[in-house]
Amino acid sequence: MKQRPMLTLDDCKKISAAAEAEARRNNWNVCIAILDDGGHLLHLARMDGATPANARIALEKGRTAAETRRSTANWQERVAKRIELLRMPQVTPVQGGVPIVVEGTCVGAVGVSGVQSHEDEQIAAAGIKALG
Amino acid sequence: MLRAGAVTGGLCAALIMASAAMAQVPPDPNNPNEAVPEKYSYTPYGEPIKLEQARKVAAAALAEATKRGWPMCISVVGPTGELVYFEKMDDCQYASIQISQHKARAAARYRRPTVVFERLLGKGPFFSYLATLDDVIASRGGNPLVVDGKIIGAIGVSGGTGSQDDTISQAGAKAAQ
Repeated sequence: MKQRPMLTLDDCKKISAAAEAEARRNNWNVCIAILDDGGHLLHLARMDGATPANARIALEKGRTAAETRRSTANWQERVAKRIELLRMPQVTPVQGGVPIVVEGTCVGAVGVSGVQSHEDEQIAAAGIKALG
Repeated sequence: MLRAGAVTGGLCAALIMASAAMAQVPPDPNNPNEAVPEKYSYTPYGEPIKLEQARKVAAAALAEATKRGWPMCISVVGPTGELVYFEKMDDCQYASIQISQHKARAAARYRRPTVVFERLLGKGPFFSYLATLDDVIASRGGNPLVVDGKIIGAIGVSGGTGSQDDTISQAGAKAAQ
C-alpha cells in the first residue's frame, strides 16, 4: 500500500505562525487559511483589521491551490492567456494560494488574502518554508 | 401536459383566493407562540473579538478536548458570525469543519447558545418553525462569547456527541471572560 504524508494540526500551527510573523514584520493585516489536499479547512487565522471577505478569499485561494496542485499565481497567468479558464469550476485564479508539497506529494495549500496579491503569496510561501 | 398545466393553474388561483379570504388568521389557543411578551431581553453586541483573544478561547477548548481525548473542530467567529479563527484537530470527522462554523455563526447571529434551538425543537410541532429560520442549527455546541455583558463573538465546536461538543465549547467560552 502506498503511504503519503499528511498535515497535522501542529504542522498547521507552525505554518500559520510563520506566515503571520511575515505579515506582522511588514505591518500587513491578512487572513491565513490552511487546507488539506482535498480542500478541507484545517486552520484559519484572521488578523485584526482583515475583513470577512479576506477570510472567504483566503479559503478559496487555498482551495484552488490544494485541489488543483497548482499555485493560484499559475492560474492567474494561464487565465490571462486563455480567458475560457475562468469557467473552470471552483477556481479562484488570483495569486496568494500556494500548494504545500512534501516528498513530491501535494499535502494541501496555504491561502492568504489582505494585501497585494504578490504580497499575499510572499506570506503564504514564508509559512510553508517553516515546515522545513 | 397542457391539461395538467391548466389544472395546476386552477389550483393556484384557488389557493390565492383562499389565502386572501383568510387574511385574518384566528388565534390558536394551544399554540404557545401566540403570546406577546411585554419584555424584550437580550445581550447587546460589543467590540468584535481580536485574534489574540480568539486564539485564547480556542486554546482553552483545545486543551479540554486533548485532555479528554476527543478530536474536535473549533471555530471562533465575530459578532456577525464571520470566521476569525479555526482549527481542526487530527482525526476529527470532516463534517465537523462546516458544523462547528455553523454552530458558532448561529450562536453569534441569534445571540444565544445553540442548545436553545435543540431544546425548543424537541418540545414539539409548535416550535418546528425554528428550522425554517435562516442559519439555525439545532444542535448544542455553539455559545456566545460574553465579556462585560456584551457579545464579542461566539465559539462553535463539533466532532463528538452534542453533549461532548458543548462541554468543549463551554470550556472555550469561559476563557473569553
